[in-house]
Amino acid sequence: MVGSPVLLIAIPLLAAFLVPLLGMLWKELVRIVPGLVLGYLVILSASLYIDVLQTGTIVETLAGWEAPWGINLVFSPLTGFITTLMTFIGFIIWIYSYRFKRNVEFEAAKKYFIFLMLLIAGSVGIVITGDIFNQFVFIEIVGISAYALTAFYTGRNSAEAAFKYLIMGSLSASALLIAIVIIYSQLGTLNMAEIAANIHTMNPQYRVMAMIFFIIGIGVEAEIFPLNGWAPDAYTEAPGPVGAAFSGIVVKAGIYAMVRMMFTLFDISGTMQVLIIVGLVTLIIAETAALRQTQLKRMLAYSSIGQMGLVLVAFGIGTQAGVFAALFLMLNHAIIKPLLFFSGSYLVFNSKEKKIAEMNGLGKLMPITAAFFALGSFAIVGLPPFAGFWSKLAVLTAAANEGMLLIIALILLVSIVEIVYYFRVINRIYFFKFDTQSSVVPHKPRGNAFLAMAILGILILVIGFYPDAVSEMLNRAADDLLNTPKYIKNVLSIGQTLTY
Amino acid sequence: MNLENIELIRIGVYGTSILLILIGLYAVLTKKSLIKIVIGLSIIDGGIHLLLIGIGYIKDGTAPIFSPGMEGAADRMVDPVPQALVLTAIVIGFGVTAVALSLIIRLYRHHNTLKIDEIKNLKW
Repeated sequence: MVGSPVLLIAIPLLAAFLVPLLGMLWKELVRIVPGLVLGYLVILSASLYIDVLQTGTIVETLAGWEAPWGINLVFSPLTGFITTLMTFIGFIIWIYSYRFKRNVEFEAAKKYFIFLMLLIAGSVGIVITGDIFNQFVFIEIVGISAYALTAFYTGRNSAEAAFKYLIMGSLSASALLIAIVIIYSQLGTLNMAEIAANIHTMNPQYRVMAMIFFIIGIGVEAEIFPLNGWAPDAYTEAPGPVGAAFSGIVVKAGIYAMVRMMFTLFDISGTMQVLIIVGLVTLIIAETAALRQTQLKRMLAYSSIGQMGLVLVAFGIGTQAGVFAALFLMLNHAIIKPLLFFSGSYLVFNSKEKKIAEMNGLGKLMPITAAFFALGSFAIVGLPPFAGFWSKLAVLTAAANEGMLLIIALILLVSIVEIVYYFRVINRIYFFKFDTQSSVVPHKPRGNAFLAMAILGILILVIGFYPDAVSEMLNRAADDLLNTPKYIKNVLSIGQTLTY
Repeated sequence: MNLENIELIRIGVYGTSILLILIGLYAVLTKKSLIKIVIGLSIIDGGIHLLLIGIGYIKDGTAPIFSPGMEGAADRMVDPVPQALVLTAIVIGFGVTAVALSLIIRLYRHHNTLKIDEIKNLKW
């Protein structure tokens, strides 16, 4: 073992605030240090995850206070899987943005990397914490750094997008705090395991009320339907790699918080139907909205929302196969969507409007980037040799096992819509003539960006041809999510404990 | 003070805090000025903080510290957890307000107005 779970949060937080000081010594450290930190996080979370798969859940007690009283971190097969995924995507984003703004200015790169590290620290915190108030604090850390990253470019309408995000984010955080107040006033505890153990003693009316406030509170980060108005604007106005960070890291943390709350915290019959309905509405509205978009990043944002709806539907099926499919979808989306954002933002690099119509004929002028974009599109709509196929198949099989034929029909129908709008872009890239009036300036990807895209592309192909490579991990994670008594036992009577 | 008065105080505190939350929500949803929207967000925060503090309140309570002569006072101590939560929530609210105000400065420089109706380059 190379460390303990608390370092996953402490190291990036510390590094984020040390970066400006290190930048005074040597300006290049501002770019190098985040890479070292994120690389260390990948190694740490991967080695802890391997350890957890062999010996069982790690529960870490902070500041010497035992589980029900103090804050504890839970590193289980599920949280370990999501944490490893998020830190890995974080590292890839660093590779991609290493030379970001390099020739322009030092200040911009400094701010960018500070907020990127805070974003990753907060997202990891949301996933591994075992305390609802602690989770609220991490959601706010993610929120504040996400507002700042959205408003990164001063020239565009980014402040408008960020302000819109901020209003929704802080209103929802207030709702989350109200839910925490209700739970604390009824149960007198903030520890997730103890809440899960005692939730049946709570008055059902308060329980439902608390759950509704929770859904509103977490729904903004998880991009569920009525609360996702911020997403298209934020994805459009933020820098390309930040869009990748939102879709690969922040949304995954939001979905995790939502699912943990639904499965473990509130054991109310009917919540699974709520998940399915919310997921289906999100899926259908987002995919039909994506069809109408003329801007590339807006289209990708709506596609990202739609995929999250599909994940919620899969979780809502509620069986082991359903949870397996949902986690598989999360894994695939975390790999594919950053690839689309990376290659897409190269394709429309110098364009002012970022319109899809400006991408005509770029397949001949930027063959490598266009190929990566095509690979990502094929994978996300679920064409057979690529990763997305297996996850969509898993969702459909899980739904078929439960006899939910209407859901299968709707998912397939929406998949057709998805194919239409992705292939429209591919068609423009490869089969249209390049418009010499267009403001897009074709150029080759830089080495580091190529490396980041290549790693993701290879992963898509590996999972596509050999899905068994991940199915064992996903099965363990799904079992972990469904086994609430084991979660309570692990935290409260403590299996493998680290105390500091 | 008898039992009924304590109940009255309790209802008063809860009622005030819910009223504050509703006033803040009204301001966020209906006001056209960006500054007033941020003020509304702060009022919501204030209401929730009051609600949290109200939960931990005990009549004639003492500070939750075991000092000499106070060993048997455990059931008269106010609950320290809500107070810790409120302190944290105040700091977070401060951070969000600061970010919001700095975004408003950016918006004002870009659009030369604070009216939310006139800032609509993106679809609201």
